[in-house]
Amino acid sequence: MSFTSFFDYTVNGLIIGNIYAMLAVGLALIFGVSHLINFAHGSVYTVGAYIGWAAITFLHTPLPVTLLLVVLGSGALGMLIERVGLRPLQGAARIAPLLATIGISFVLDILVQLLASPDPRSLPSQLPNWRLQIGSGTIGALDLLIAGIGLASAALLFGFLRFTQLGWAVRATAQDRDAAQQMGVDVNRVNQSVFAIASALGGLSGLLVGMYYNNISPAMSFQATLKGVVATVVGGVGNVPGAIVGSMLLGLTESYGVAWFGTPYRNLFAFVLLLVILVWKPNGLFGRKRALPPEPLTGTFIAPSKPWHVPPWLLAGLFALAAVLPLFNPSPYLLQVLTNSWLYAALALSLTLVAGTIGQISLGHAGLLAIGAYASSLLVLDLHLPVGTSIIAAGLLTSLIGTALIFPAFRLRGHYVSIATLGIGEIVALTILNWESLTRGPIGVSGIPPLSLFGRDASSNNAFYWASLAAMVLLALLQWRLLRSHLGRTFRAVREDEVAARAYGVSPDRYKAMAFGFGGFAAGVSGAFTAHLYSYINHETFTSQISILALTMVILGGLGNISGALLGAVALVSLPEFFRVTAEYRMLIYGVALLLLIRFRPQGLLGTV
Amino acid sequence: MLPRHFLRLAAALLLAPIVASAAPASGEPVWFGVSGPLTGQNAQYGAQWKAGFDLALDDINARGGIHGRPLAYTFEDSQSDPRQAVGLAQKFVNDKRIAIELGDFSSPASMAASPIYQRAGLVQLGFTNSHPDYTKGGDFIWSPSISQADSQPLLADLAIKTLGFKRVAVLFLNTDWGRTSRDVFVKAAEARGAQVVIAEGYQPDEKDFRSTLVRVRDANPDGLVLISYYPDGALIAGQVRNVGLKQPIAASGSVYSPKFIELGGAAVNGIYTNTAFFPEEPRAEVQTFVTRFKARYGKEPDAFNAYAYDAVQIAAAALIQAGPNADRTAVRDAFYKIKDVPSVVFGKANFDPQTRRVIGVKSVDLVVKDGKWALGDAKAAASVASAR
Repeated sequence: MSFTSFFDYTVNGLIIGNIYAMLAVGLALIFGVSHLINFAHGSVYTVGAYIGWAAITFLHTPLPVTLLLVVLGSGALGMLIERVGLRPLQGAARIAPLLATIGISFVLDILVQLLASPDPRSLPSQLPNWRLQIGSGTIGALDLLIAGIGLASAALLFGFLRFTQLGWAVRATAQDRDAAQQMGVDVNRVNQSVFAIASALGGLSGLLVGMYYNNISPAMSFQATLKGVVATVVGGVGNVPGAIVGSMLLGLTESYGVAWFGTPYRNLFAFVLLLVILVWKPNGLFGRKRALPPEPLTGTFIAPSKPWHVPPWLLAGLFALAAVLPLFNPSPYLLQVLTNSWLYAALALSLTLVAGTIGQISLGHAGLLAIGAYASSLLVLDLHLPVGTSIIAAGLLTSLIGTALIFPAFRLRGHYVSIATLGIGEIVALTILNWESLTRGPIGVSGIPPLSLFGRDASSNNAFYWASLAAMVLLALLQWRLLRSHLGRTFRAVREDEVAARAYGVSPDRYKAMAFGFGGFAAGVSGAFTAHLYSYINHETFTSQISILALTMVILGGLGNISGALLGAVALVSLPEFFRVTAEYRMLIYGVALLLLIRFRPQGLLGTV
Repeated sequence: MLPRHFLRLAAALLLAPIVASAAPASGEPVWFGVSGPLTGQNAQYGAQWKAGFDLALDDINARGGIHGRPLAYTFEDSQSDPRQAVGLAQKFVNDKRIAIELGDFSSPASMAASPIYQRAGLVQLGFTNSHPDYTKGGDFIWSPSISQADSQPLLADLAIKTLGFKRVAVLFLNTDWGRTSRDVFVKAAEARGAQVVIAEGYQPDEKDFRSTLVRVRDANPDGLVLISYYPDGALIAGQVRNVGLKQPIAASGSVYSPKFIELGGAAVNGIYTNTAFFPEEPRAEVQTFVTRFKARYGKEPDAFNAYAYDAVQIAAAALIQAGPNADRTAVRDAFYKIKDVPSVVFGKANFDPQTRRVIGVKSVDLVVKDGKWALGDAKAAASVASAR
């Protein structure tokens, strides 16, 4: 590579890092105070862009007024999010606010889409159109404005946190919420101010990035959250200067990744960077060493809730009902929705074990589904294994590969586990995309044979229904048996207090590996069934949205609760179908229903076990 | 007396074509089901489909519908998610009113549902599914989407023969569609004596292309080919000049949309494409479609509107061919028989009974001139070629 090109790649990396920085600063600020990864941040970014668009289009505002309106509008939205979504959940399970931000992001995205149409829109820059030659490329006024606002806001924040009374209160709250409250700090006001500031920044970055690309769409929020979170974590969560350095590093890694290996590898490098940094420095690059170790998301600080034990006769009755249902000739549509529910229930079982029982909140479970699906399909198509055997083999392979992938992340705690698994999930999808000789790349695997068991065709609606139900129930019984043994107690001990568990001679790594091994098997089997149902899969079949859906099911049912996982899966697969009569409003209603459930039952429908 | 008589005559003459055709359809409708994205990442395409469907229905039902019965549809939102698409497939298959199914949008969703349609014997008309294996799902799986094997060589003609590219850089959407297109294009370009010096695949949600474009620049091409949809095509165009690339650009027909110009601004000026659908093409099918579309929606139609409109026209032709009160197998058999269906995209659509795809594609060369799509004229093209 010539020096000119190297210089150009560096400039490009810094330009994109600049954009990530605006997102990361807001996320870092919120995390610093409320120990929460705000998944709604990307949606605030989208809303900010649309406020700006509406102001320019309908009110013909000049740039300073547009900026002001966006800052005010998104700031107010941030306060609203804090007030409606998070404050009522104080003292509830740690995980509940995380789920609330996911729900809020869902509702905001749909609202933007309903109000402004899903079509991407142009957002012309209101800045003068001069460009500055740097290397062989050019940068424009917007690049400088984005950098300027990024740096200025970081400096302002630094000053605010260091020199103002409210800033002290923010830092005190971040260090120890209860102590701050005892010293007379109005913690709610602090939280609200932080959400306002962070969201104003988020909305502003949405506007500027929209102008930069002359393109805004309701679908832009997920990528924004993803990249912002990665940048924040690389820098060390809750650390504002760290977030900026992390963003630049992420931008540079992506740019050099493109330079050396080509465009398809761009995100692969971003997520590998994330993992390497987490394994090397579990608190991010600039996380303070002396800070309290991040607490587990479940366990110690969970509001002790009394789980609702479903009596065995009821479970047996429900199972019998489900088993005889096809005999009554129900509509194939109902049968299919239930079949999908059983497949998702197997995934939820896996996740409730990993996230609930042993306390490793995973945001990458779709990756396990994908491994299982590809394993079974390729074993059948390339190695001519019979379909039933291939499903078992796929489960075992997923168990092995999944555990090996997650193994380096075992030393992580709390939110870092979620982010690491998020990264692993993305890495699996991107590997599938790029490893063409094995996976056929973006063309995908087609002509996957339908389900057959013991040499007999099982592709009819009823047969597939029974097979998936049987597989799911077997996995559930196995898991139930497992949790009643000493293993269940040990798993919970690791979740509650890793240090204490270790002091009693329990090796947390070994038990985490066991949990991921069993969970990987269940998820792999679910993925394999799915592949034989769909007959075609590619790297887009199992998106990261599925990981989030699975986590939602598990939290909704009650972490670690087997019946809860089943209930959550059936509820979240059926609800969107149930709301079909409301046409384009169905996802909005679904999102609102989700928020209400979190609000009134933060410990999950059946309670945490 | 005379004027009144004259008026009556004039009225009779004006009304004649309407009276001559069948009376508007009435009675119990004939239904087709649509599985497609109305929410989620691809929601914009579902909205464009709807506009095309509604227009086609007006047209067909004014002509007398399907043997006197009106054609109607039910659109279910799948979010282009395979899980929801298979549920919907069961729903449609079990709904005895549904005579044909249209969609889904993406290949993972469509092809996941195909086995269900095939087993139950309901025609699935996947009109945006160009995946080479899509119609291999069985004899109930048909596609009137433009085959990349047919259309990419035309793009190669434009890029290499007309514009004179010798060292081509290809940027393609790294999906099943983009990847298939790239493979065909590279082969066609090399057959025409050009060399593909670099081919870079990018993800659909990518927004930043500067580093990719530096890589392209370092490969030293004399022309860029974009295998893109309009949002990403416009994004790339907006960043090309910023990294110091000045080469001419040709893009696949899928960028054709008024939105391409809206999103790309001045940066898309001078970009060539060849598209199967262009509103200013004088053909009668195109002009009827465009005039009526503008009258109804107050804006220019784009390629996806046209695909949806055509798909319904083809479905209606098959339903009419199948005869009144035909069952689903008769509808499938009708697809083997329909010939020369008037089509906005194809002119006359004819299925190849072997591949169950529409054969051949015609295309128009276009260029963006002063913020407007215009017919690409050969002289301008030659001057581009010689300017290098």
